Amino acid sequence: MGRLFVINLEGKIYSRKHCQTHLALYDDIISKSFHCRHGKAYLFRKVVNVSVGEKEDRMMITGMHTVADIFCVGCGSIVGWTYEAAHEKSQKYKEGKFVLERFKVSGPDGSNYWPSREAHISGSDADDA
Amino acid sequence: MGGVEDDEPPTKRVKASSGELRSLLNYSLLSEPLTGSLGDSMARPLPSQGDEEMVGTKGVIKRVEFVRIITKALYTLGYEKSGALLEQESGIPLHSSVVNLLRQQVLSGNWDESVATLHKIGLSDETVVKSASFLILEQKFFEFLEKDKIMDALMTLRTEIAPLCINTSRVHDLSACIVSPSRRLLLGLSSQDIVSANSRSKLLEKLQKLLPPTVMVPERRLEHLVEQALSVQREACVFHNSLDSALSLYSDHQCGKDQIPSRTLQVNEDGGVSLKHTLTGHQKPVLTVSWSPDDRQLLTCGIEEAIRRWDVSSGECLHIYEKAGVGLISCGWLPDGKRVFSGMTDKSICMWDLDGKELECWKGQRTLKISDMALTNDGKRIITMCRENAILLLDREAKGDRLIEEDQTVTSFSLSRDNKFLLVNLLNQEIHLWSIDGDIKLVSKYKGHKRTRFVIRSCFGGFDQAFIASGSEDSQVYVWHRGTGELLEALPGHSGAVNCVSWNPADPHMLASASDDRTIRIWGLNRVNLKRKDTYSNGIIHHCNGGI
Repeated sequence: MGRLFVINLEGKIYSRKHCQTHLALYDDIISKSFHCRHGKAYLFRKVVNVSVGEKEDRMMITGMHTVADIFCVGCGSIVGWTYEAAHEKSQKYKEGKFVLERFKVSGPDGSNYWPSREAHISGSDADDA
Repeated sequence: MGGVEDDEPPTKRVKASSGELRSLLNYSLLSEPLTGSLGDSMARPLPSQGDEEMVGTKGVIKRVEFVRIITKALYTLGYEKSGALLEQESGIPLHSSVVNLLRQQVLSGNWDESVATLHKIGLSDETVVKSASFLILEQKFFEFLEKDKIMDALMTLRTEIAPLCINTSRVHDLSACIVSPSRRLLLGLSSQDIVSANSRSKLLEKLQKLLPPTVMVPERRLEHLVEQALSVQREACVFHNSLDSALSLYSDHQCGKDQIPSRTLQVNEDGGVSLKHTLTGHQKPVLTVSWSPDDRQLLTCGIEEAIRRWDVSSGECLHIYEKAGVGLISCGWLPDGKRVFSGMTDKSICMWDLDGKELECWKGQRTLKISDMALTNDGKRIITMCRENAILLLDREAKGDRLIEEDQTVTSFSLSRDNKFLLVNLLNQEIHLWSIDGDIKLVSKYKGHKRTRFVIRSCFGGFDQAFIASGSEDSQVYVWHRGTGELLEALPGHSGAVNCVSWNPADPHMLASASDDRTIRIWGLNRVNLKRKDTYSNGIIHHCNGGI
């Protein structure tokens, strides 16, 4: 395959669990109180080495949003989503930001997260008051 | 200037007898002698195109100017008789009678009369009159000196040249000439120059440049206008990809799309055109391949590993370059072929001689893991990505590094052959062309190809590097016109992402592309009978991405 273009981050890095591609920095976390099908998720102001999928309107916990899934350039698997547009004013702060599913990444210290069996949150998203 | 000056002023001809005129007309194919106006001493225009002041469909060409530059062109080409005839037939003399008189007087050395005539021309600008007088009198001065008439020369200088009060430094030079003859040589004038008839013609040339074009038509004006038009046509020709000898005056120049490579000539799989050697030794995937300036050696870089230097004919590995504790990520040659350089994982750049002795090291944030590296042909500047969105032009002679800053992440770049431009590929699927000679500025943008995951390379190519080509993740080869930014071709054929392209520097009609479908394609013109040069040498592929 061709040569992947990957940006290398420095600092406390969250990387893709299996292919080790750098995805985001600890310092860029806006909120840790997001949720997805696989449990915890973090809102980041910036992520790297992802490709963006098709835009679609999705009903999230906090309301209707226009989102696009994001995929790791290294292994191509889905790692989260990004907010293209929020339909409610109070949710506008999410626009242009990215959510990474904690389950899909290795933390800065190499730690991993395993979703607990009880965490059957119906739907994704969360509010950050 | 090879043209012949008109030595027989047309005014003379006008006074000629009608007998002479008729003998001129015998050159034409007319059997009937022309009657009427041509028998008169004063020519009148034939009623063919009427007496309109303007010619041409747009009404911007003045008849008088048009005819005069044609007349001038005829004389320059050596067609004296035709020139004179045109002046008669059109009734538009090339030079007014006053100017003709001036030319006559200058050529025969009647200096005082010529200065007087100069004043009669009716020039509005006093300084022009003075400068022209200066030139004429200077010639008079030099001719006196040549004939050793020192007193006369001195008189001229004092009473005629100096009172003009212009160009005083030249006046000083002239007075120095009287005192010491060697000074004349310093002014670039040999005695041959002064005495020969040439110097008077040269004086006429200088006067011509000085006087306004309405008084004396400038040399080669018609040729200049035609060249201008051809130049405009050539620039407007978007597909232009051949030598300029193809330009004709008979019709506007317009190349067809068939001038750029668009048809696959060859598909090479599993190893290359004809496998010569397999170079083994690298433990890690090979990132870049670089030919030596003499084409006899290859430099290859394993990802975050070492560089190996190979002999092309034997396939033998000649040297391995490594540095303890760091991995090497890019490599290249210096133009003298005696030194190699490389980027490191610790962001520095190192230079070695062929035996592996470290010569120079630039520490600090000079390069990135994903960075390309290029060296200018004079070996003076190293070009490297020093930050995500910035390219460093590192000056080896420490004359001052410069920076190209983009607002997007840079993925790869390519240097033009003349080292004046840099083609930069960006994360957001745009290709930017930067001028790096002199002021750094963005010149053009090219869009259309696809890039989301891989390093896709682009290059300059075609005749005069007038095109930009790029690979793309949609398996096509993209070609744009460099000047206008217009997308000319998106060539299908590959069945995987096209990672890099290389336009043959020797043959503007050949392009090569390398793809994830594990093939290399050679592209040529879409014509049955084409000449293909077998130059499968260094030009074709400078970089190979991934040997996985």
